[in-house]
Amino acid sequence: MTGFDAFAAPGAAGLADLERVDFTAGGVCVSSPALAESDILRIASVLASAGEAIRGRPAADIASVLGRVGARFTDDRDPIRRRALELLPDTSGLSGPMAREVLAGMARDWTEPALLALLRADLGDPAVLDRFTSVAGRRVMAVGPRLCVQIVAGSVPGVGVSALLRSLLVKAPTLIKPGRGDVVLPVLFAEALRAEDPALADTLGVVYWPGGSETLERAAVSAAEVVVAYGSDRTVAALRDLCPATTRLVGYHHRLSVGAVGRLALTESAIERTADEVARSVAVFDQRGCVSPHVILVDASGDIGPELFARRLGAAFERLEASLPSGRLEIEEAAALHQLRGTAELLAATGAGELVHGGASGTWTVLFEQRGGALEPAVGRVVRVRSFRHVSEVVALLEPVGAHLQTLGVAGFGDMLEALAAACGRIGVTRVAGFESVPYPPARWYHDGRPPIGELVRWVEVEGGESPRIESDPMTRPIR
Amino acid sequence: MNDETRKPFEFEALAADLEGLLCEGPDRSWTDAEFDTLSARVFRFQFEHNDTYRFFCEGRGIHPDRIASWQDAPAVPATAFKRLALRSTSGHPEAVFRTSGTTAGPGARGRHFVPSLALYRASLVGPFRRHVMSGLDRAPFISLVPSPEMAPDSSLSWMIGAAAAECATDVRWLVDARGRLETDALRGSLQEAASGRSAVVVLGTALALVHMLDAIGERRSPPLPEGSRVMETGGFKGATRDVSREELRRRISAVTGVPAGRIVNEYGMTELLSQLYEPVLEEGLAAAGVHVPPPWLRVRALDAVTLEPVPEGHEGILAFFDLANVGSVCHVLTQDVGSVVDGRVRLRGRSPGAEPRGCSRAMDELMGLARTAG
Repeated sequence: MTGFDAFAAPGAAGLADLERVDFTAGGVCVSSPALAESDILRIASVLASAGEAIRGRPAADIASVLGRVGARFTDDRDPIRRRALELLPDTSGLSGPMAREVLAGMARDWTEPALLALLRADLGDPAVLDRFTSVAGRRVMAVGPRLCVQIVAGSVPGVGVSALLRSLLVKAPTLIKPGRGDVVLPVLFAEALRAEDPALADTLGVVYWPGGSETLERAAVSAAEVVVAYGSDRTVAALRDLCPATTRLVGYHHRLSVGAVGRLALTESAIERTADEVARSVAVFDQRGCVSPHVILVDASGDIGPELFARRLGAAFERLEASLPSGRLEIEEAAALHQLRGTAELLAATGAGELVHGGASGTWTVLFEQRGGALEPAVGRVVRVRSFRHVSEVVALLEPVGAHLQTLGVAGFGDMLEALAAACGRIGVTRVAGFESVPYPPARWYHDGRPPIGELVRWVEVEGGESPRIESDPMTRPIR
Repeated sequence: MNDETRKPFEFEALAADLEGLLCEGPDRSWTDAEFDTLSARVFRFQFEHNDTYRFFCEGRGIHPDRIASWQDAPAVPATAFKRLALRSTSGHPEAVFRTSGTTAGPGARGRHFVPSLALYRASLVGPFRRHVMSGLDRAPFISLVPSPEMAPDSSLSWMIGAAAAECATDVRWLVDARGRLETDALRGSLQEAASGRSAVVVLGTALALVHMLDAIGERRSPPLPEGSRVMETGGFKGATRDVSREELRRRISAVTGVPAGRIVNEYGMTELLSQLYEPVLEEGLAAAGVHVPPPWLRVRALDAVTLEPVPEGHEGILAFFDLANVGSVCHVLTQDVGSVVDGRVRLRGRSPGAEPRGCSRAMDELMGLARTAG
């Protein structure tokens, strides 16, 4: 069995002798040192100290270094990308072709132009991270946290690297605990960063512990100025409880994404493309992404009705299985899927109007629901199709889950789109995107409705008419 | 009795036969032939009287005339109890038990229609006596489960009520109608029990027991009398924190003085009228983690993809055929994962999406609110 060391942190002398804790993911044994609170605190302290060395470096240069490292994951000849692709199917549960697809999609945002665009979108001029700068008549500087602790749950590969890039971009030393299914990429990124820029690498620590380990999380949180938490509502709430009043928590809790198909996408000539794009938006990440749609609302007045759309969508899933095969499900996920399918089968048998379209191998499921219950997310390429006659019905259906809504995938609304987006935006949707771009929001997106970089920094303003002469080197110039 | 409320005679005959057998208790040895004959009879009855189930079977091309054994009878997913009334009798049910159903809100609670509470009583008393009362005839009960009067739609409350009627000298119900633990009364009851000589039985969901431990805190009471035991059930889904079973056992033992080997886990769900228990009282702590079904309940572990039985000892999704479910559907596919050896189950732990029976989560939510308000 292949082994993988899920640990990359500076100042780790002595940790090599610690007992190891392992878990098996597919054919890979993922191993990490059994850290104690004191180890976490020591790593946090080493990281925070290393932050001093990079604070004087221009943010744009840091973005450039990070972008060079990120680009290595997009280059087929690069050994680091090859190693990632070897390990990802086992550790993430995605199929080989899907892992390749996901890495390509995620790493697109890790390159220098994407990172600079992200900084500019949230901060304007990245130099505002380096010195006081005039912004709309104010003298301001943006300061990243002394230490940013990122606690990530889940099994979507790439989320961890996208997360750590954000805090490194604002010069924040970063301690990240990746999701169980996403340990490989952050560790490989840390290794590649060390080869490129050891001083910057000294500000990144990647450590794994099973999510919810309260003592370790309490220690990590205690050392942080900003905590970023990705996970279920419960995970985020638990971490929020651990944060002192003076520590900011940026929480990305459980999310539900949906899709809506308007009549322009339901014509005979458009339907195949529509179905393919919808199927692909669901299938990427095997539907584990917060952006993955779970329910598709279909305009009942289209040439192709919702029920027929459900069948065409099934056919699209079957086609997709050849190019982007489903990954393996954990047994608990499979158990949940059998509950859902069996219940739908029972409802269909009683004429309750639900039709089940399932792949022969059980790799995808389309449920056409004439009358629906709650919008519960499911795993394993499971999508519910429901019909609507008016935008107000879309809003009524989504409103109860508004607090968890995120992406609305759309097709075929023409000039109705803005009205739909406005109505859905008011109840909780934060992103409206064509189905083809649903899986990969741009790096600079409003993540769950908030600016991702803006969430990490603290602003410092010098007020008054006097222009402070502190532009060149704010760290060393004496202030009188 | 008018026609509307009259149960089909067949049900009465079947239920009476089953009740007689179940009343003989879990120690009666059942041959495979006996189980097969009864299960075939019950499956045919359910096929004929439960339209939803018949449509489901027909959709899969399954008919009672053409199956070799109970294993071929289609298993309904436990979740289906949330969406459909799975009833094999048309009469007025004697009880409708509801699942705690928290993931999809209160509107999505499962319902189990129970036409004969006598049969439920027959299914629960024998195994309870054997696995929880072992060595005791009657004893005082301290219940951290709401009383049946307070929670009339809880199958767990009804079960504790029925078990208490048979086995308890006295019951203290220490969880109120809103799901809150009456901590002063709890402390008093534990102290009173500790000062007496009778062994007591403490019963509660894992979560209620955690709340009990929190309430007692460091001010632990004197140890409960020798022979006392604890029955613990349910999981922690959705709870504010998880405690491993070993840790819970250790803490209960430290606080109450009941040895770890006298803390019995019960495994049950609203959708099944029979329960499984860890046989620790009879076999010691080595049996912790293993659950024994009564002989009228058969369990299999099924392959995660094909739902075919997996080899003995291999993990799979658990499916139960419970003859006590004659009034609904006997064959139930759960969301729980475990392995089966010699008819006994080793659970992997409740699946992340599965809901424990009873009121674990609801109670935790209520207590959370109570704490916030306080």
